[in-house]
Amino acid sequence: MEIKFGGNFVVKKTPAQVYEFLVDPNRFCPLLPDYQSMQIVDEKNFLVKLSVGISHIRGTAAVKMSLAEADRPKRAVYEGKGDVPGGSASLRAGFDLEMVPGGETKVIWLGQANVVGRIASLAGGMLEPLAKKNVQKLIDGLQKALG
Amino acid sequence: MDCRRRSDKSEGMARTIRKQMKRTTPKPKAGVAAIACVSKWVGQPIRRKEEDRLVRGKGIFVDDQKLTGMLHIRFVRSSYGHAKITRVDVSKAEALPGVVCTLTGAEVKGMVQPFIEIGPDAGQKIADYPMAFDKVVFQGEPVAAVVAETRLIAEDAAELVEVDYEPLPPVMTAEDALKDESLVHPAMGTNKNWHGLFEYGDVDKAFKQAAHVVHIGRMHFHRFSSTPLENNAVIAVWDSRSERIEYWSNNSFPAFAAQFLSPALGVRIDQIFMKSFDIGGGFGIKITNYPYMAVCALASRKAGDRPVKWAETRTEHMQGSAHGNERTYFDTRVALDKNGVITAVASRHVDDCGAYPRYEPLGCVIWAQVMPASYRLKNIRIDMSQVVTNKCPVGPNRGYSRMQQLWFMERILDICGHTLGIPTDEMRMRNYIRKDEMPYTTPNGCVYDSGDYAGMLAMGKKLIGWDEWKKKQAAARKEGRWIGLGIGSTLDSGTNNFGQARIINAGAPFSGQSKAAIAKLDIYGEVVVSLGSVPQGQGHETTASQVVADVLGISPDMVKVKPGFDTEQNVYTGHTGTYGSQFAVSGLSAIHGAAQKLRAEISRMAAWALRGKEKDLEFGVGAQGAEIRDKRTRKSINYWALANLVNVNNAGMPEELWDITFNCRHVYHAPFHIPDIQKKYGNLTLTYAAQIHLAVIEIDRETFQPKILAYACVDDCGKAINPRIVEGQVHGCTAHGIGAALMEHCAYDSDGNLLASTFSDYTPITAMNMPDLLYGHMESPSPFTYNGAKGMGEGGAAPVHTVCAALQDALYANGVIVDDSHNTGDSIFRSLQRAKQGGYKDMVRVEYQRAGRTN
Repeated sequence: MEIKFGGNFVVKKTPAQVYEFLVDPNRFCPLLPDYQSMQIVDEKNFLVKLSVGISHIRGTAAVKMSLAEADRPKRAVYEGKGDVPGGSASLRAGFDLEMVPGGETKVIWLGQANVVGRIASLAGGMLEPLAKKNVQKLIDGLQKALG
Repeated sequence: MDCRRRSDKSEGMARTIRKQMKRTTPKPKAGVAAIACVSKWVGQPIRRKEEDRLVRGKGIFVDDQKLTGMLHIRFVRSSYGHAKITRVDVSKAEALPGVVCTLTGAEVKGMVQPFIEIGPDAGQKIADYPMAFDKVVFQGEPVAAVVAETRLIAEDAAELVEVDYEPLPPVMTAEDALKDESLVHPAMGTNKNWHGLFEYGDVDKAFKQAAHVVHIGRMHFHRFSSTPLENNAVIAVWDSRSERIEYWSNNSFPAFAAQFLSPALGVRIDQIFMKSFDIGGGFGIKITNYPYMAVCALASRKAGDRPVKWAETRTEHMQGSAHGNERTYFDTRVALDKNGVITAVASRHVDDCGAYPRYEPLGCVIWAQVMPASYRLKNIRIDMSQVVTNKCPVGPNRGYSRMQQLWFMERILDICGHTLGIPTDEMRMRNYIRKDEMPYTTPNGCVYDSGDYAGMLAMGKKLIGWDEWKKKQAAARKEGRWIGLGIGSTLDSGTNNFGQARIINAGAPFSGQSKAAIAKLDIYGEVVVSLGSVPQGQGHETTASQVVADVLGISPDMVKVKPGFDTEQNVYTGHTGTYGSQFAVSGLSAIHGAAQKLRAEISRMAAWALRGKEKDLEFGVGAQGAEIRDKRTRKSINYWALANLVNVNNAGMPEELWDITFNCRHVYHAPFHIPDIQKKYGNLTLTYAAQIHLAVIEIDRETFQPKILAYACVDDCGKAINPRIVEGQVHGCTAHGIGAALMEHCAYDSDGNLLASTFSDYTPITAMNMPDLLYGHMESPSPFTYNGAKGMGEGGAAPVHTVCAALQDALYANGVIVDDSHNTGDSIFRSLQRAKQGGYKDMVRVEYQRAGRTN
């Protein structure tokens, strides 16, 4: 089950500043919805623990994240993969940065998640709105953090 | 002249079958005059003997068994439909207290050989192991297993197994499979598992001479299952000391399963001991649960020969047991004469067997048992293929492979009827095989034994009030309501000839059909019948008792029947199991033969004991129970005394009676030959029960939800051994079919996720969704069985045909052609949208109508 989202927003920071924020897992990962903890494996790989689930049925998912693309100061792409109760999920989150007049940056983001397994069958109808809600949380958090 | 020749040919085939029947039916010994039996119990709607036990919760199912030291197994299953396995780590699971051992796919691969494949060529290159080791090919495929002291520990430990995958592009439709861009089994070099051309008559000539030729675009028969109340279950014990594997399972074809397990596990077949008890429904799909049986045996061996139980969960069942076959029909052309009689059909069919063939590709020939359906079609060309896809493997689901062909034929009949303006009932009357043409030989050599389809339709129309509904429909249409009337004619071909497997693979080492039974008087004179059958609700204990009661002149409650497969205690042949609508023929013929032999022995022994003559003896029930009376002297002896004389009080018994054991075995052999595999010609099955269903359906104009307003079914299964059981079976198959037509669908998304892995999503039919059924019964006795009975119970998915016909009747005026076997409010809405956009314009096309030749 593929879920795709995208959008853009403008922040009062330069592309270089936004880029530095995005590629720093210590600053970026806590913005992930239901973030619990993070363990850095190396410069580009880290393990994030998230609380996942629907309503009272919840569990912890260990998601292996990696910075798949890093093109300073234009583009950063994360890829992640993890097991969730009843299935597996993979995700790809890309951020393209464009300078706009006034020293601001337009962040064009694209999120893509692929959920497989029983969870897609059990909760397929709920996953998309849930994912949308969580992505919005992430973007809201990102906008807030970038001022 | 042509008709005369066909008739002679049909009679010739029928004569051959009758001649063979005589050879295979036991004959009474000379001088035994009293063998003719009065049919007192056969034909009576007595209550099922099994019910008392089952409704009081006294049935014994696999999961009721608790053995000393028994462990529980839990499978870790693939989340992906198609992916490489890059890592399996069971260390955390093994560390959990209570876990005894684990198994991974790689480990299992080293312990077994892949299962044998029935198909030839590319199919032989499939390596079907009981667990995946390098890649997974359907969601739900086992990749590891955990064995623990309790089921709950096993479940918790299974969650700790870590598996990494690398996704591969899944193959989810027949069309995608045929492209061969992504291969399910790369060793095959293709996704095509089987291909064959079935051509009979002169198809091209028939098209040239046709008054009308109708072209029909893609149609699709959807994937659904049977959802038995009891899921798959097995207990396995690998006993290393006695070098035997013991199974308690609900596999419904144990003799077949053993033939797959033996080479895979590397043991002799006589080292495999199978037992079955009560089974909570099977409908065919439990035939293919043997991969799980293999893993359970391996787990038992690894766990030190301790018993290992697997009781499947519903989600596991939906994801990883077996589904029914899905079929897509392409490029269909239908030739008709000026009266709307179909003279030729040409089409290309692609069957989807899921990830592993297992019982397949037998479905690629089994459909041919009912090639022309109920119709006099003589010229037919079907290009048949089967493909593998990244979906759950299929199993022989109720109505297996024939229902897909019957649905196809019913669809083209209705589509042509609507296109040419011929009413649906009239269309059938013009095309049905007539009663006076029976036995009827089909173009591919199958012999329809008996039947009166036109009479059944007339009965059904009367039952449902067809003419009244036509008037109501016309009035309702004026009010803007969508009401449709539909008819579905179906056949239940029963007692199959395994020789048809040779058409699939010339080297297939099986043919014919046989069943065995024992009838005996035990040491205290109780009549005991042993069967190897594995009933799942068909009432074998009851019907077997009725047959034996008639032979011995006693009542059915005096007959103890021991059904269930038991390698050590019950008799069986390699065909033994419960499948393919045949117990009334093959099972009861074996029982009847055994009972006749027992009667003959009783007669001889009683004549000696009563100092009388066999011709003067009467079988019946007296003050001391079952007994034999000498009608001349009025002396009698009961069964206890007779059994006593043979077993424990036999001094002085004359030597000529020493062969009497009161333990009589009979094997029934169905009168079959091996088909001509080049011409794909021969008798593939022995009997043809028929059902005709009629429905009135209204589609809500706001929600597009279809609602059945009236439903009638007429059944003809020859002589009904127990009309109550027959009616129950008809109700069951009707429920199954209505569920399939309107609710149940094993739908997958394009990534290979099964979207119906629970009952909440699959929505199996319940009593709440069932319409009231009007039921009618006719009897056209089979000339090919000793009792005139025909196998029945599968039902040929008649409601699927009927519902589709009624929906099309309701919506044809709106431009809708029903081209899928599954229809819901949602899909009907989409169909109407498609019709509005002209989407059906190319779906049905009249290629030509000759001038002046319309009906």
